[in-house]
Amino acid sequence: MIKAVGVIASNTFREIVRDRILYGLLVFAVLLIAVSLALGQLSFKEQTRIAINFGFSGIHLSLVMLAIFVGSTLVYREIEKQTILTLLARPISRTQFIVGKFIGLSLVIFTAMVLLALVLLFVVLAIGFEMSPSFFIALLGMYFEALILLSFSLLFGTFARPTMSVVFVIGIFLIGHWLDSLNFFAERSKSDEFMLFSKFINTIMPNFEIFNWRAAPVFGDVLSLSEVAFALTYTMGWLMLVLSMTSLSFRRRDFV
Amino acid sequence: MTNSILEVQGLRKSFRKHPFSMQKLEVLKGFDFSVEKGKVTGFLGANGAGKTTTIKCLLRLAHPSAGQIQFFGENEWSSAVRRRIGFLPERPYFYEYLTGREFLRFYGQLSEKLKDKVLVERVDRLLDRVGLGHAKDRSLRNFSKGMLQRIGIAQALIHEPDFIILDEPMTGLDPDGRMEVTELIQETASMGTTVFFSSHLLHDAEKLCDNLVIMKLGEVVYQGSTVELLNKVDYSHELVFENNQSEIHTKVASSIEEVQGEIDQLRTQGFNIIEVKNKRLSLEEAFVNIAFGDKND
Repeated sequence: MIKAVGVIASNTFREIVRDRILYGLLVFAVLLIAVSLALGQLSFKEQTRIAINFGFSGIHLSLVMLAIFVGSTLVYREIEKQTILTLLARPISRTQFIVGKFIGLSLVIFTAMVLLALVLLFVVLAIGFEMSPSFFIALLGMYFEALILLSFSLLFGTFARPTMSVVFVIGIFLIGHWLDSLNFFAERSKSDEFMLFSKFINTIMPNFEIFNWRAAPVFGDVLSLSEVAFALTYTMGWLMLVLSMTSLSFRRRDFV
Repeated sequence: MTNSILEVQGLRKSFRKHPFSMQKLEVLKGFDFSVEKGKVTGFLGANGAGKTTTIKCLLRLAHPSAGQIQFFGENEWSSAVRRRIGFLPERPYFYEYLTGREFLRFYGQLSEKLKDKVLVERVDRLLDRVGLGHAKDRSLRNFSKGMLQRIGIAQALIHEPDFIILDEPMTGLDPDGRMEVTELIQETASMGTTVFFSSHLLHDAEKLCDNLVIMKLGEVVYQGSTVELLNKVDYSHELVFENNQSEIHTKVASSIEEVQGEIDQLRTQGFNIIEVKNKRLSLEEAFVNIAFGDKND
């Protein structure tokens, strides 16, 4: 069981690492970090803050794009090219296939994050940033968010075309970042219907703002362990739910 | 049938006409067939007869609407059963970013049966066997169609299965490629592996198959040995003769008595008899009779 998942995961990792799209995204993120350095020169006082803000934005966007764009084609491409047929005729279950694909891309996202974080760290340390654990926790938050988005990309990828899937997941990404604003306005409105609507959206959509710790390293905020533990539990819950739905949807499919 | 490696009973498959439609289209109409152990069985039928859908149902790549499928006498589609089966789909696309070696290693690892050292040796041996020893470290994106087909067969054989299912293994290949694949199938069968392959290239099927299963519009219309099918229709005889201006003519007679009568008559008319040929029904003719004619049991 575990071996089959590992074999699928390592092949998925190899597939993406040998794909040009990954390098396009990495170059984009490195450029953004370089721009942050240039912008930092404009304001000596704010140099570190601007560099970290831009750098984190570059890393965040790259991880999100990897999860959405690569994740949406991951299963679809196997179905479209019919490579899935030779795989599923082997002693592996459809759930193992989905989990293997998820782990493979998760590892790619993790590797990309580590590489980009090293570049950013090199830059910000050079301009006098004082290292703090919140730098790594901020990265962890971005990774959790990318994992949830990846699980949704896989879910939609089992029944929708990649363009549709990308649109759906971008929708979830945007809503997930606007939930705090929605809650704020719902509380202010004092309308029961609006409150109910807000509660409903909060129940069916993940809130990505709980992973937004990107400002913490700049302002020297200390993140509590319970905050991180809650985010981890929240991520695991969403992953289990969405991957189970993906597996169910995939198990019912006929490959004709 | 005893000694069968695959038994199919009452296989049915329906699809919705549209994703939101309640109307269903029955593609496989409830048929039985079996595949004998150690034999090469051809699975024939015109385009749209239901061959590929049947194969996908056998391998649970599509869920049958009804029916029973038994591999090796077992009803359950277990990992143990799957480990004993190799499969090559129609028009296979493979992971083009992998090299020949990596590709076979990947499928070997998925079969869960082999230790690493054994697998490495087997991959190299199999690549040599399918004539791809020179392309072990070349990525699949640089393979020709024939090479892809051969490595496709190799992935079906990497775990040394007892039974291989090949869906149109010769489609799209040039004559050389077809000959290579034919030889590979013959070699595999000679090593004791049961082969079940679908094809619409009847010449190849006639050359390879001990048994045939023929489908027409979602039903099995013939199941039995290739020789029996060909013997179902009587031999005919062709007389080749020439007149005194050396012009060649032919006549067909359906029995020996008729041939004798024709020869006597032609000789009295001054013709020279050049040759009398036994004309045997080809699989192509038999197939056309069955697949496009009336239902034949």
